[in-house]
Amino acid sequence: MGDRKTLLVGDNPFHGVSHISQERAMSRGKDLANPGHAAELVMASIENGADGFAFTTSETTLSILRVIGKQERREPLRLHALVPNVVEFTRTAAVAGGIPGLARKLATEIVISANIRAVANGVKGVATNDPAALLRGLLSYEVSRIKSAMGRGATLVSISLHELVTDMALALNADWLFRTHISFARGLGIRPGFETRNFACLTTKFEEWGIDFAGVVITAPFNSIGFQMYPSKKECEEALSRAPQAETIGFSILAAGYLSIPEAIDYVSTLPGLDGVAVGVSTMQQASETFGLLSERLAG
Amino acid sequence: MRPTAFGSSERVKQSKRVAIVGLGKMGLLHASLLNVLPGVELVAICEQGALIRRFGKNVLSGLQIVGKVGELSGRGLDAIFVTTPPSTHFGVVETILSAKLAPNIFVEKPLAANAAESEELCRLVEKQGPGTNMVGYNRRFAVTFGKAREVLDEGTLGDVHSFQAHAYSSDFLGVRSSSKARARGSVLRDLGCHAVDLAMWFFGELRVEAAEADAVPGKGSVDSVSFRAVTGDGLAGGFKASWCMENYRLPEIGLTVNGSKGMMRVNDDDLELNLKDGDEHRWHRHDLKDDAAFFLGGTDYFREDEAFVRALTSGSEVEPGFRSAAMVDQVVDQVEEKASGHGR
Repeated sequence: MGDRKTLLVGDNPFHGVSHISQERAMSRGKDLANPGHAAELVMASIENGADGFAFTTSETTLSILRVIGKQERREPLRLHALVPNVVEFTRTAAVAGGIPGLARKLATEIVISANIRAVANGVKGVATNDPAALLRGLLSYEVSRIKSAMGRGATLVSISLHELVTDMALALNADWLFRTHISFARGLGIRPGFETRNFACLTTKFEEWGIDFAGVVITAPFNSIGFQMYPSKKECEEALSRAPQAETIGFSILAAGYLSIPEAIDYVSTLPGLDGVAVGVSTMQQASETFGLLSERLAG
Repeated sequence: MRPTAFGSSERVKQSKRVAIVGLGKMGLLHASLLNVLPGVELVAICEQGALIRRFGKNVLSGLQIVGKVGELSGRGLDAIFVTTPPSTHFGVVETILSAKLAPNIFVEKPLAANAAESEELCRLVEKQGPGTNMVGYNRRFAVTFGKAREVLDEGTLGDVHSFQAHAYSSDFLGVRSSSKARARGSVLRDLGCHAVDLAMWFFGELRVEAAEADAVPGKGSVDSVSFRAVTGDGLAGGFKASWCMENYRLPEIGLTVNGSKGMMRVNDDDLELNLKDGDEHRWHRHDLKDDAAFFLGGTDYFREDEAFVRALTSGSEVEPGFRSAAMVDQVVDQVEEKASGHGR
């Protein structure tokens, strides 16, 4: 990868997420969950230099995609999806009776979606107790939801597994999950990806398992104070050099609002192995200033 | 012998052999963390659900997956983690102890479905003799609450005269049927118990004076609770718990403590200190060395499991043990009793 970094606008503010505090997330107000307003923020970020939109699949983000999909665009919007929405899954499990309740609800949604590939993989997974087939079923369902929402004005560039899935699989040595996802996504012509808070561990495990980093998108926290960089900032920085073939995207570059944009840029610009960054914005002014500065300093 | 994810084969030889009962959300979380902790060999999982068991065998290759707790016998286990629903904790732990399946036990919070069961479990582990027991009140391992305890121990607030605690989530906001909420028990036993545990960790035993409970989605579930309690030293505390609050995408536990020298507010994210001499401090998790060798679900879970394993290895006790957790269940029982005459 070259020096120019990919700039992505993230969706955390639209879900009421702030990693610094819930109080801060609440103070942003409800407008951010309004798909029309959120779509304006995404497009303002793109106009100011963002290369694409990184989002977790949810009703909120799919609604945003539907709004954007209706707009006239010269170039397709580049999408980087994160699946599944683990927070939504956890809440569903809480009210639906744990993992079995969640599985029943998800199975119903997949059947209703009438996505043949998703249904076939799901049935095969249950019939043969094959977790890889179930994963393919879930991924097929998520991809179909995104494609149906985004219309023709967008391209699904990558599909990444949520950090909780990635990190649990890392801990449990479930290399089959990584291989299944990579092969499935590539089969669809989409780049496979993994979000993780344990970047150093992921690179070590990929090397150990002989998994090729080429074309794989890895999203992980990178910031000057080492916030959420496990096991340490130093080890995550060193790990960057071990995965030069991967496209590594940094999130939490502002350490959840703890750092200013110039401070964040000063740090990430010292990391040649970091190929891009994802940043969320809450206002039109932020969209313009943040991506104006990012594109000037990191993507010029 | 199956190597742990991050351990050398030499380390595995000396590892503590651990099993998990219950392969739900918390079972998976602990299984993952135990698999990365040095000095631990995760050897077996017990899961009652046949479908999950079948998938478990394919997902967690190399592990023994059984359907009944008794089937964990004869495996030379050093410890068992119990992560089944709270209503089953008593039966599971009783079986572990009576069949001598493992001398050390970790139980996800709350310890049991009521104070009587918790008390009996304390009696049983004490009768069994030496062993490490722990209950999963993970908030004690969060850096913000650890710092709050430090502030209190140092006497920075002067004489503490009152506190308020809360436990909020949006889990059941807008959920009309109460059947699922009922399945999880009351909000106080499910979520509010964290606030009770922290208050008791900070201030000691509590006696409930008055309590009210409400069912927001429908009759039969306890979705919102408030109560007043006092400590042995006469310190007054107010508690509120609800899982139907707006804007709590993630559950939040928090306390505000008032003292002669100022006020402290602490929650999962930060700690704020406002002293009467004009001194003000605010610490975010960022400022409090929120480190972990592996992150999953939160750094506090890693530190919690690490503390249990360390105690296991050294043969020492660890807090919160069964006795501390039983005291939380006593408070919850008192609240339910006092609230039974109010708006349920």
